[in-house]
Formats: sequence, structure tokens, C-alpha cells
Amino acid sequence: MLKKISINKISELAAALMDKGLLLAPVKEISGYNFVEIKDPKQVDLDFHNTIASPKAAFFPHKEDFIKYETGKPIDTASVVALNLPPAFLFGARPCDVKSFEIMDIHFNASGIVDPFWKQRRETAVIFGYAFDLEKPAQPEEFYQTLGIGAADPEGSDVFMVKKGGDLLLNSVTPKGEKILAELKVLNEGKAADKKYYEEYIKKGKEYKTRSMCLEPGAITKKLEDLFYNTDFWTRVSSACISCGVCTFVCPTCYCFDICDDTLFAQGIRRRVWDACMFTDFTLEASGHNPRTHVYQRLRQKINHKYSYHVRKYGVISCVGCGRCTKHCPVNIDIYSLIEDAMKA
Amino acid sequence: MTDFRQIENNLKKEAKRLLEAGEVAVVLAYGRGYDEKHPMPFAAKAIAHVESLVFNEYCNFNMARYLMRYPWGTKIAIAAKAADSRAIIQLVQEEKVRREDLVIMGIPAYGMKNQKTNEVIDSKTTGGLYNPVIYDILLGEEIHGQKIISPYEVLAEYEAMDKEERWAFWKKEFDKCIRCYACRKACPMCYCDPCFIDQNKPRWADKAPQSPGNMMYHLTRFHHLAGRCIDCGECSRACPVDIPLYLFHKKVAKECEEMFGQAAGMKLEDKPALVDFRVEDSDKILE
Repeated sequence: MLKKISINKISELAAALMDKGLLLAPVKEISGYNFVEIKDPKQVDLDFHNTIASPKAAFFPHKEDFIKYETGKPIDTASVVALNLPPAFLFGARPCDVKSFEIMDIHFNASGIVDPFWKQRRETAVIFGYAFDLEKPAQPEEFYQTLGIGAADPEGSDVFMVKKGGDLLLNSVTPKGEKILAELKVLNEGKAADKKYYEEYIKKGKEYKTRSMCLEPGAITKKLEDLFYNTDFWTRVSSACISCGVCTFVCPTCYCFDICDDTLFAQGIRRRVWDACMFTDFTLEASGHNPRTHVYQRLRQKINHKYSYHVRKYGVISCVGCGRCTKHCPVNIDIYSLIEDAMKA
Repeated sequence: MTDFRQIENNLKKEAKRLLEAGEVAVVLAYGRGYDEKHPMPFAAKAIAHVESLVFNEYCNFNMARYLMRYPWGTKIAIAAKAADSRAIIQLVQEEKVRREDLVIMGIPAYGMKNQKTNEVIDSKTTGGLYNPVIYDILLGEEIHGQKIISPYEVLAEYEAMDKEERWAFWKKEFDKCIRCYACRKACPMCYCDPCFIDQNKPRWADKAPQSPGNMMYHLTRFHHLAGRCIDCGECSRACPVDIPLYLFHKKVAKECEEMFGQAAGMKLEDKPALVDFRVEDSDKILE
């Protein structure tokens, strides 16, 4: 089902979605765009390239409360935080980010252990994917083409959106998407010409140029395994790294977390908070021993996790080439150049 | 001012000479990144690495941040712009680095730019100086006659706010914080191991990026840098969500300078203001 709406009327569409549930959409903030829960439909702004943080927080929030308790009280007085989610709409996620949800599903849903929080959020959400603007060149840090992701891949979205001049074309990809499009009265029917435009756009998206190299998952895995003990290599590529957590926090496929007990006076909350393998205390053990004290060991872990262990275990590279880690790295470490270096080493 | 290309050539020449003569084991400077606009901090340890050295208007990293990675006795050559040279002095004062281990390659420069915004950062987030305070070799001619802007000039708007407004301002800014700790990691003066925020006995703040914990982290860090911040602005540039951390640091630096008559990292023989006690010290803080 193909529908359309004028981009000028995007706030009307936003308001219609807000009537049905939570709306998460890109909003222009001081430092750039980010997905936020929309309070005022006028906030929604589709004039963005990509957001600072990935939309993973829609399903895997930076902090998530699990249990509330009072210290000193018996355990049966503790209560589990119920998750009663209204339907949510993730509006305007780019194809590479939508792809990341599929990778994250492996860990939170598909590999035997089910995370009920992730699962519920995923099930209640309708994803409105949004193709990159093919008229504009890719950002220098992006490399999703390397990972076989096009700039206009509708896979993974429920509804996929494409810009056509001043209009936004919305096409349903899944039955869930079809249902919601049928319900939205603010949308107009797409014409045959729109349908043609949409289909051609999807095709053209495959050819969209970002940085690209030939990356065969088996080959990079093997290469990284051979390189593991090459301390000279890892020391060299990590010499600028300052061990902050920017790369992992903006990454759409980083999913490490820490379980914390936060207490204020007697009131306690057990919650999950994002953690980063680049932090020194990430691997600090209760004994005081830390197996990864050096920067190079931590960067090696991160690269290997994404491009080697993950491929061995699940068959896919845990990276979608969005380039956020490169863009926001305070010292400009570029994961793409690093992989290129590794292949040559 | 010597142009950046010339400075780059001088940097390569000096780095090559120092490494060749065995005077230093490592040259801390700037290297090629994934494009012109994104150079990287770089440690050249062999003559073959020298060709990768670069210098342009985007090389604003504070290389002093990397000094403490090397044990005392390692001879290090370090490229130092004005703010970086102050960081070196401050680290020597704090006995983290030994002056005799260093060959300071001074870089006089203005017109340095923020990589993200392309805005010129002179005086806004650097100390308002163009020439390195201390150096052994100079990689370009000293700058004279360029208009000197007080590093505290950008505070005008901030100082016009009253107490409540400032509280509201910081609360709003800290709400953006994602606790990636890029600010402390980019800071040459943040070398505590472990940082108080990473301790868990006692636990000083939540790990979650929410108001009380964010406030605790930033306010403690701000005060821990009182009289030590050398105003390089790296914390603000490293921040992925653009929290203007430099405003607080500058404000504290200004008050410190007024109270104790010394700015951080200006003289090797100074002691850090809050470590030193003098009978004539200001009591303003108690009033």
C-alpha cells in the first residue's frame, strides 16, 4: 500500500501517530539531531542526515529499572517494575539503523535467551524506515555499502518512507505497516507515478556510494584471529584512543550493560545501565584483577567482538557502517581505516 | 604567523632529527586521520613514522594528555601549542611528568578550528594565548601584534545570569550528558586512577545518565580542576552532545586567578594554587 503526504504537513502525520501511541522521531537539538519522544508534533524534523545517537535506545534504553526494593526489608517486599507499553512509532530510522535491530535481536531474542523488555518493545513498535537522500552525497564517515546495506533498503521496516520532491511517500512493508497506513486518515493515496518513483528509488539506493571495500566476513575473522597477538599492530592503531565511551554509546549494535543497585537512603532500584568495553573498569573483577588494563586490549576487544567473535558465533558482522563511532570519536579513530589496516597487516 | 604547511615541514624535520640522534624515544604530535579535516593524535616512534606527521588548523588535541602513558625516564618530544604548553607546566608542577624528560616543540598558532563546527576556537576555548609558554624548539615564528582577547571574555553572558538562572542552565545542560566520560578522558589534568565516579566503595553517584548522578560527576570534576584547568577546551570539543563545559572551567579559573594571583600552568616554579598555602592568600571564599 503506497500513501503520500506533503512534507510541510509532517506535523499532522505526527499528531495522528501521537493519538495512537508514543512517537519517537528525529528532533533538532543544539548539537544535532536525535530521536526523542515527541511532545509537540511540530518538533518532528525530517531535514536530517542521521542522528547523533542511534535509535537503539527505543528498544534498549540507556537505563532501565527492573526491581524496586527497600534495604533491610524481606525480599518479598521487593517489586518488579511492570512494563506496560503503549504502541510506539519509531519514525524516520535510516536503513542502516533498521538493520542494526536485526543484529540486536540475535542477542535479546533469537539466541535462546529472551529479554522480555527488548521483546515487548520490539513487538509494540512500528518502524517507519526512511531512505537516505540519494541526491546528497554520503558523509565521509559512513560505510554501510561495505556491509551490503543500501541507502534505501526497506527490509526490517514496517513502513518505508522515501522523499519525492516536497512529498513523502510511505509504503507498507509488513502487515503491521499496512494496518497502520490504512488507519492514518491524514495520508493521501499514492498514484501510479509515485509507485514507479518509489520502486526506482529503492533500486537506486543499492548503488548509492559510501566508503566501500571488499569485506568477506570469513576473511576478516580469520585475519583478526591471526592478528590477535600482534601487540605492535594493536598498540599502533590504539595509540590515540583515550578510552572514553562515545563510540559504544552512539553505536547501534553495542549492547553491553551493567546491572546496578542504586539506593537513595533506604529506597533501592536494581537497574540496567549501558556499559562500554572501552572503560577501564568494564572488566575489573571483584578480586581486583583486571584482564584488560591496556588501551590496546580494550580496542582489540571491541574490534574483535564486532568483526570476529560475532561472525564466528552468529555468522554476521556486528556493524552496520553508520559511521557514528568515527564521527563522534574525540580523537578521530576510524573503524573503517582500522579494518582496512588489519586486512593489509 | 608561519603558515601551517611550513609548521608541518618543521615538525617533520625536527622529529626526524630527534629520533635519528636518539635524543627521544617518541614524538607526540599529530598524524594523518581518515581525511584532512580529521587528523589524529599520533606517537611517532621510528623514523619511518615521521612521514605520517601532519599539522593543520584542525590539530587541536592536547598532546599533554598522552604524556603520562610513558614511564619517567622515557625521552619524549611533544608538539605543544599555547594551551598544551600550559598543560605540560601544570603536569610538571604536579610531579606527574619530569621536565628533563621532555623536548617541547612549541607551535605558535592562531585560527585553529573546531572540527565539528568549523568555528575558530582562539580565545573561546583556548587560553587567549598564541605562543607556547615554554618550549625548547620553536616550529614557527612567535606571534606578535595579533589582537589579544581575554580568555574570560566569553563569560560575559554567563556572568550576567543570577544564581537561579545558572543553576537552571547547568541542570539543563547536564540532562544532555550521556556519561561517556569523553570530557575527563580528553582532559590532560584528569589522571586520577580510579576516578571518583568509577569507585564503588563508596559509590558517589549512579551510573545511569540522569540528573543527580550527572550533576555529581560534573560538579565534582569542575571543582577538582579548580586552579588546574589550563583552558585548552578539549573537554567541550570531545563532548558528543556539546555541553559547554569550558564555561564553568573558565569561571573557576577566573576566580582562582583573582584570589591567588596566578593562572594554572604559567610558570614551572609555581605550585598549583590549591596545593600552596600563603599567609597572604585571599579569604574571599570564606566570606
